[in-house]
Amino acid sequence: MDTVSRSTAAVALRGVHKHYGPVHAVRGIDLDIPGGRTVALLGPNGAGKSTTVGMLLGLTAPDAGEVAVGGLPPRTAVARGRIAAMLQDSGVMPGVTVAELVGLGHRLYPEPLPVAGALELAGLTAVARRRVDQLSGGQLQRLKFALVAVGNPDTMVLDEPTRALDVQGRREFWTAMRGYAATGRTIVFATHYLDEVEQNADRVVVMARGGIVADGTPGSVRALAGGATVRVRLAGPDRPPAPPGGAGWLGASSVRLRGDEVTLRTTDADATVRALVAAPLDWCDLSVTPPSLDDSFLHLTAAAPEEGSR
Amino acid sequence: MSGTGYYLRLECVRMLRDPRYLALAVLAPIGFYLLFSSIFGGGPVPPGQLGGTVEIMVAMAAYGAIWGVLSATGPRISQERASGWVEQLRALPLNARPVVLSKLAAGMLVALPAILLVCLTAVLARGVRLDAWQWAALVPLVWLGSLPFALLGTAVGYAVGAETAFPLSYALYLAMSALGGLWVPPARLSAPLRQAAYLLPSYRLADLGWSVAAGHAPGWADAAVLAGWTLLLGALAALAYHRPRLRRAARPPAPAHGRVRPATGGDTR
Repeated sequence: MDTVSRSTAAVALRGVHKHYGPVHAVRGIDLDIPGGRTVALLGPNGAGKSTTVGMLLGLTAPDAGEVAVGGLPPRTAVARGRIAAMLQDSGVMPGVTVAELVGLGHRLYPEPLPVAGALELAGLTAVARRRVDQLSGGQLQRLKFALVAVGNPDTMVLDEPTRALDVQGRREFWTAMRGYAATGRTIVFATHYLDEVEQNADRVVVMARGGIVADGTPGSVRALAGGATVRVRLAGPDRPPAPPGGAGWLGASSVRLRGDEVTLRTTDADATVRALVAAPLDWCDLSVTPPSLDDSFLHLTAAAPEEGSR
Repeated sequence: MSGTGYYLRLECVRMLRDPRYLALAVLAPIGFYLLFSSIFGGGPVPPGQLGGTVEIMVAMAAYGAIWGVLSATGPRISQERASGWVEQLRALPLNARPVVLSKLAAGMLVALPAILLVCLTAVLARGVRLDAWQWAALVPLVWLGSLPFALLGTAVGYAVGAETAFPLSYALYLAMSALGGLWVPPARLSAPLRQAAYLLPSYRLADLGWSVAAGHAPGWADAAVLAGWTLLLGALAALAYHRPRLRRAARPPAPAHGRVRPATGGDTR
């Protein structure tokens, strides 16, 4: 299974590079996405997300390396309706109705969903006969989603699908998207909204400066930032026998005592809490704060190597 | 219906729904026909010359057809490039060639009502009568002769931005109509202007119709000049169409807006 063309993964990239003039936009990405998963591509602007998405659709040819979608070359996969995408900054055909436009998608793909089904999935049934020029921002974005969903693709790629949407619009969008994911399809979405990653992705691939800097569940990527925070207040008059010394105490990587409040940083919150329970201390007001994805995201993308350093 | 056929249908449907199309490509030529034919169309017809009502009918049919194809291509293509629809089309299982051909075909199709309705107005309101063969030749010739303008519109649509495309198309339209003798018969123009008119596709398009209406076979000179313009404008359209791809190869995609940030609060799912 060395060549991606024989890979059964929904999406496979091997050693993919892309240059734009002097800019090395994508630097040797290897990525396998098995079918049925929802995967987030997370990264700052210029990380190479959109270029990667473009290569998955065959809109951009890699300078080196291989890309396969369901074992097929990208353009073949697009033509067969195996992959469909909602691109960043894409628009819709002006002057037609919602149902007419989704009807176009219905006729272009080999195994489409019924138009009514795609409209239902996108929550657009009520505005099916409305002109696309009269839709709200949220409706327009869901129309683009419907245009992709009607193709009934195994793999759906969404490049920053909720950019410029308000909170309500984003919530409605992800409700529609989760309905599609629930049918067992693969969804790859690029975003820089961290809460969308937490709530919607099984897996997150963090990109920075053209490379992959982390890959795992949202929880495991979060843990890379250095762990959870455990806090308790000391209730009794007792203080820890010795000043709660440095690292190592209760499995914590750092300990801070301020007044009667103890703050422990730990990579294993469970072990620290168990040790705390077993410790001969009278405490109350336990709180455990998981590491934030924001922290790990900033940590990871800031730590990525500079141009030419590998 | 196949995807491409449906796409062509959508292109026509949205054109026919556009009030600007109806006003400028259909109603304006009919209105001008009624106006000009009542001013210039009444006099006695010298032997061997076309009656005013017929001459103006052909001129206005060409005038409507030219705007039909220009407005269906230039401003629309440029608007679709700006709105991102062209980008979305690239991600659909539809090749670039049928998309561009559908657009050209739609532009050509929406020129037909303009031609037919001017002719119908001439028959009903001014009693114009031609032989069956003349009608059968006149309408298709004026229609097919508007192809260079569809290519001109395509070139404009891919070459300039959405703000510029409409005024530029309209300016080209007015200039070619006026200089090509669609408003004032070229016989009444000064000699240098007349020489210029003979080179223009707008004059040659109308002249095809005038020949047939006068009972002659369409002239080879008309066909040759129109064919020349078709080749020239077709090459320009192809160049304008490929221009962004040539540029894209050398430049990364435009950066996205905004900075990386956690979501703003308030989502209370």
